[in-house]
Amino acid sequence: MKMPSVFCWLFFLTSCRIAGAQVNKQPQPDIKVTFVNIINKLPLVLDSAKYINCFKETFTISRLNYYISNVSLQTTGKKTIPELNSYHLINEEDTASKSFSFFISPNQYTSLSFLIGVDSLKNVSGAQTGALDPLNGMFWTWNTGYIMFKMEGNSPSSSVVNNKIEYHIGGFSGANNVLRKVHLNLNDTFFIHQEKITEIIIKVDLDKIWNAQHDLKIMKTPVCTTPGVLAAGIADNYSKAFEIIKIIHQ
Amino acid sequence: MKIKIIISLLVFVITATAFIYNKPPHKLTYLKLVIPKGWPKPSNDIFLANPLTEEGFVLGRKLFYDGRLSKDGNFPCAGCHQQFAAFATYAHDFSHGFNNSFTKRNAPALFNLAWMKEMHWDGGINHLEVQPLSPITGTNEMAETLPGVLAKIKEDTAYQRLFKAAFSDGIINSQHLLKALAQFTGSIQSYNSKYDKVKRGEDSFTVSEAAGYKVFLANCNGCHKEPLFTDNTFRNNGLPLNEQLKDMGRMGITGNPADSLKFKVPSLRNCSITFPYMHDGRFLSIGNVINHYRTDIDTTQKILDELLKKRLIISNQEKLDLTNFLTALKDEQMLRDPRYQEPNYIYRSPDIH
Ligand code: HEC
Ligand code: HEC
Repeated sequence: MKMPSVFCWLFFLTSCRIAGAQVNKQPQPDIKVTFVNIINKLPLVLDSAKYINCFKETFTISRLNYYISNVSLQTTGKKTIPELNSYHLINEEDTASKSFSFFISPNQYTSLSFLIGVDSLKNVSGAQTGALDPLNGMFWTWNTGYIMFKMEGNSPSSSVVNNKIEYHIGGFSGANNVLRKVHLNLNDTFFIHQEKITEIIIKVDLDKIWNAQHDLKIMKTPVCTTPGVLAAGIADNYSKAFEIIKIIHQ
Repeated sequence: MKIKIIISLLVFVITATAFIYNKPPHKLTYLKLVIPKGWPKPSNDIFLANPLTEEGFVLGRKLFYDGRLSKDGNFPCAGCHQQFAAFATYAHDFSHGFNNSFTKRNAPALFNLAWMKEMHWDGGINHLEVQPLSPITGTNEMAETLPGVLAKIKEDTAYQRLFKAAFSDGIINSQHLLKALAQFTGSIQSYNSKYDKVKRGEDSFTVSEAAGYKVFLANCNGCHKEPLFTDNTFRNNGLPLNEQLKDMGRMGITGNPADSLKFKVPSLRNCSITFPYMHDGRFLSIGNVINHYRTDIDTTQKILDELLKKRLIISNQEKLDLTNFLTALKDEQMLRDPRYQEPNYIYRSPDIH
């Protein structure tokens, strides 16, 4: 009569666990990443704030959305630990969208990396949901694929209707691929603890879009809405905009 | 001991009921795409991440026939894709869209889409599930928005029931809407034409059809490859540029000049009822099309397909035979299949707008 009693306790324990899991609080995530969009030291204020780029062109920004995906951290042992199902749409108008947190095993980490945009696989895999829902207005309907980065605004230097600036940057294959990987060192190696949340704050300086790698004057290229050489050049430029400014252990 | 056994049984029953309570069994009737004998495998398994079920198909069919997917209610998918015309727009070079507009291209027939990797004449769409976003939001087609469509659908209790039946969480969102539509359009299949029956040994060609089949194999099969009657590639078949539309075809997507005036090779199944022909509907009859291939190809085009650089020699008799063969590709069974019809379908004479 030993066996049934063992089973009995097994059943009892499993049922406790099942019941317990529902009562327990959600465990706290270990890491939080926050994006702060700025323009050359000035905070980004949509619509109203006027900025000047290095070519002395004045401009305003009315909309800024971009995808961050495939976030991972690298350990001192050079192992890459990815965030699972890692797709985030940063929307300047929505504060909550500018931070995300996730679980990662306690370890010593040296760097953080991510893609600006949505990896090519998800561009060819049909209807998605969540951050990748076409409802978010970041999906092309004539030439399937995500708009990886969208910035709109106005500038007297733009000769198109209403002096518009319109950058819808997409394209995920071959020479037209605008996916850029950003790799940021965490400076002093830091340890992620189980009970503490570590916040990494990343500054995104959009002023870089005009000249970080290629000189792109608003006067010459106020609009880019198709994949191609210009889109790839703009992506090169904004890929240089990301910089870690602070790491907070809470 | 007895008490312990009773307790363990009790615990078991409680856990089991808890499990059942949490997860009500969700019954789905799985369907299988027919892969006729001798056909290639579908090029990409569109139903791998979207299991084909009766429930999904029925929901997709309702959506396909529902005018509410368009802004003013007048332009369901089925308005431009009519079953009696093999899901092309009958007798229209361009189809009518919202607010007296016209589409910019000829509406293709819809069938055997599971074998098609890239959709639209220029291959701009890479997955059947995301294709509907183009007509739904196109201002010259349905002129709606996704949030607009979802808001209308969510209010309808019939849809609430159908989404619950088709998807375990029952959520009405864009992903489920698009997946259901793909289940319907992706299941429209054509494999029962006279040609197919001859191949299966159930019927035989007339003398003229048999002669036409030979002409076809000699001149057309390089691109309109049997049994699908397309190899799903993009080719320049020597049509001069339509000066009004300035439609450069595949080049508009790839940006590559080597793709200038390349268009998707359309399937010739059911082609006797999908006139007018070509991406801009420029030819009214198969006779016109054959004349293009035998005398009117624009040989000045640099990217003209290799297979057409040497003029095709097709006599008048051969033209007649070829036309008869192409007519034998009409699939009456698909054109009348009640499964593809609007629910509660009542036959009306074809809408000629
Ligand atoms: C106003 C007319 C119109 C409506 C409404 C319409 N379509 Fe179309 N459809 C077209 C045209 C025109 C094309 C070709 C587009 C192109 O090549 O650029 C097309 C292409 C397609 C294709 C690709 C076929 C191929 O061979 O490449 C599919 C699939 C399709 N439509 C499904 C749908 C679905 C599903 C709906 C409803 C959500 C719909 N259509 C609504 C006119 C329409
Ligand atoms: C080099 C490849 C190639 C060959 C060979 C070829 N075609 Fe085509 N065919 C095409 C392409 C590409 C199109 C679409 C062109 C467009 O719309 O601009 C097309 C379109 C058609 C269409 C219009 C179908 C529709 O639904 O609009 C018909 C009919 C047709 N071809 C018949 C034939 C016949 C008959 C032959 C043999 C005499 C033939 N083709 C040989 C490539 C080819």
